[in-house]
Amino acid sequence: MSATHALEVAGVSKVFGGLRAVDNVSLSIAAGERRIIIGPNGAGKTTLFHCITGTLTPTSGSLSLFGTEMTALPEHARTALGIGRTFQISNVFIDLTVLDNLRLAGVGTSGRKWVMHRSIDAYADLGDRALASLRQVGLADRIDMTVKHLSYGERRQLELALALIGSPRVLFLDEPCAGLSPSERRRIFELIAGLPRSITILMIEHDMDIALGLADRVTVLHHGAVIVEGSPEEIRAHPEVREVYFGQR
Amino acid sequence: MTGAVLQAINGISFAALLFLVASGFTLSFGLMRVVNMAHGAYYLIGGYVGLSVVRATGNFWLAIAAGGIAVVLLGFLVDRFLLRHAGDNHLAQTLLTVGLAFVVGDVALHIWGGDSLKLQVPMFLRGATELPGDIVYPTYRLALVLFGVIVAIVLWLVYRKTQLGAVIRAGVDDREMVAATGINVDRLFVLVSALASFLAGMSGVVGGAFLTLHPGAEWEILVYALVVVIVGGLGSLEGAMIGALIVGLLDAFGRWLLPEFSYFVLFAPMAVLLLVRPRGLFGEAH
Amino acid sequence: MSRQQWIGIGVLALAALAVPQFAGSYWTGLITQILIFGLLALAVDLMLGHAGLMSVCHAAFFSVAAYTTAILQVRHGVPAIVAAPAGLFAGTLLGVIFAMAVRTRGVYFILITLALGYVVWGVEYRWSSFTGGDNGVTNVPRPVLIGLKLDTAEHFYYFVLVVLAIVLAAYRVLVASPFGLTLRGIKASESRMTSLGFATARHLFVAFVISAFLASLAGVLYVYYNRFVNPVSASFPISVEAVLMAIMGGSGTILGPFIGSGVFLGLRNWVSSFIEFHAAVIGIVFIATVLWAPEGVMGFARRVLARRRSGASTR
Repeated sequence: MSATHALEVAGVSKVFGGLRAVDNVSLSIAAGERRIIIGPNGAGKTTLFHCITGTLTPTSGSLSLFGTEMTALPEHARTALGIGRTFQISNVFIDLTVLDNLRLAGVGTSGRKWVMHRSIDAYADLGDRALASLRQVGLADRIDMTVKHLSYGERRQLELALALIGSPRVLFLDEPCAGLSPSERRRIFELIAGLPRSITILMIEHDMDIALGLADRVTVLHHGAVIVEGSPEEIRAHPEVREVYFGQR
Repeated sequence: MTGAVLQAINGISFAALLFLVASGFTLSFGLMRVVNMAHGAYYLIGGYVGLSVVRATGNFWLAIAAGGIAVVLLGFLVDRFLLRHAGDNHLAQTLLTVGLAFVVGDVALHIWGGDSLKLQVPMFLRGATELPGDIVYPTYRLALVLFGVIVAIVLWLVYRKTQLGAVIRAGVDDREMVAATGINVDRLFVLVSALASFLAGMSGVVGGAFLTLHPGAEWEILVYALVVVIVGGLGSLEGAMIGALIVGLLDAFGRWLLPEFSYFVLFAPMAVLLLVRPRGLFGEAH
Repeated sequence: MSRQQWIGIGVLALAALAVPQFAGSYWTGLITQILIFGLLALAVDLMLGHAGLMSVCHAAFFSVAAYTTAILQVRHGVPAIVAAPAGLFAGTLLGVIFAMAVRTRGVYFILITLALGYVVWGVEYRWSSFTGGDNGVTNVPRPVLIGLKLDTAEHFYYFVLVVLAIVLAAYRVLVASPFGLTLRGIKASESRMTSLGFATARHLFVAFVISAFLASLAGVLYVYYNRFVNPVSASFPISVEAVLMAIMGGSGTILGPFIGSGVFLGLRNWVSSFIEFHAAVIGIVFIATVLWAPEGVMGFARRVLARRRSGASTR
């Protein structure tokens, strides 16, 4: 295991009763890399993400982030190592304001979350960071709204802002553009493409154009296992991928 | 030694009653995701109705039927007019059914008074039976064990071996799926709810013959039933059986060895469970 | 705080201070009770309105604190300056033990707290050699505060008012703090919280202990007010009524639990003068609140204000 790799996944499996949702997956992601995970529905992509971020405990395998072993760590501890993620189905704080959503994300890995003797409003930098993050995703004018009143697209934008505000080292994006209009998709795509190389990105994506446009490398999953891995051009031409996706050789 | 054996039988006979009460509660939750804090009040009112029937007719079996049916009717009205407004909101269900329990308890107080009452046990179950080892034990409580075992077996067979049971188990697992297969989920719920109510009312009659019926009894029995389902796991029939045995035995031995701290003995299994396996022995992860 | 809020607090404070001047000792006593049970409801609401967990065992902390203080003072002649903190400590310690309940959520949490609370009631009731059983502990003396004996309704009322002012100021900061927001985050989406790096179980544990502390404080005030304590103080109705008060007044707010306490105790006081079916009426109030007023008085007031504001802006 090389210490320079952003993420090392070794032999991770997740078994539910009789179902092998993730089957002996190994990945090696370099720092700054853009790795896209593609595969048909039910291929185990989201489950794989859950296993890496700690939302689920893998049945077997090991994981390390920038050389730090994290297989035994609970989800919140893995986040503290530098993981940010978005969920496939928006998982935002619906009953709180957009500002509070981001302030929570902002203190998630900081000791400030235990402060009980000062109002959170006293921390102006939290509000500033929240505003900056919202400007990045284009939601600045919604800052005081309760998330309940945001549209689906706006919630996806918020989802991304929540992941970015914590300055993650490795960002896990699970179909960030799902269900968005073409112009919204373009906006999110440009935002992701514009992120600095100091952030390593793993992204699950269904849209082949977006996937292959952003990717340094692509990993293809099918029935929970890695069937192919390579550059976008290699994947585009690969017969097995064509079969899995289009049913043709 | 005889003392321990005696307490063991005490525990097992109490466990039989606890199973009857807890099984209704756990089925109600397992399938319909309803938490009914008035389940103890159902027990009490069933018992009181049975008491009045026994006083009027002297027929214990009629009393059991009457107690069960009275609660089925009450339960139906409660489901239709009260609980349907709470939906899946457990907080709302809890407060609604607590309110209902207060009302039922107060009405019962005004009808049957505040004294501790007991049902008259049928003739053939009165007195005591001689058991091996020179133990003389009240016949009724032995019959209760038998009754509890029979009900447990019947419920288990229906739950595990019949078509109806399969549908109920499927519904416990995934309610939307069952509805999607075209099965009339509403009728299923009414049926299971009626069964739960009947069990509660019936156990009030059966229990009221050796424990007393009195104001407050509805909460005492509810707490025991809750500890049973906490230990056994909400929604699990097998859990209710094992949980009832554990709680019944602990209670009996607790009362015998540490009478002033017997309630504390109930705390112990819960604490252990909470620290080791919060969802109970057979509970599903939620 | 906005000018409006300062004015509101000022008015409230003036009204509160004026109470004993216009009300007789009976009404002053009733209002003192409302404040004490309002504090218990506030304790419950920290878990309910902020963290999203409904605890029905808070009467246990209330009662254990009351008993500890009472027994120390009455049987061992310990002065209030030691007995009161000891009561607080005992109730809070029980809170630390019962906090194991936060390993569960939702229904399980409700059931477990119900059972835990009942265990305390049962022990108080059965361990009569120590607790006095049903008879409880009587003749608890009022504390003496720098020479001033708080044995009139008026003096004790002011004492409670001062204690509450301090507690509420602190509570206000607590719920506005980052920690307070983490509780609301857990209530809104616990899975998102763990994903963002929060060890949610720890936060809930701490919140539970703080809430047990507040309930214990209410218990100490209660035993001094009542000068008597018995197992009824740990009973399930006390716990669940505290929940109802929080909801009736407006869960998640600071004034809500006190408004709810006022409405509930006022209603019970009024109704008991002409109806015998006390418990049934309380039960109906539970049902009515859940069906028709789940947001409580504060929720209703907020909606009315919001409508007025949006109505005004469209003119």
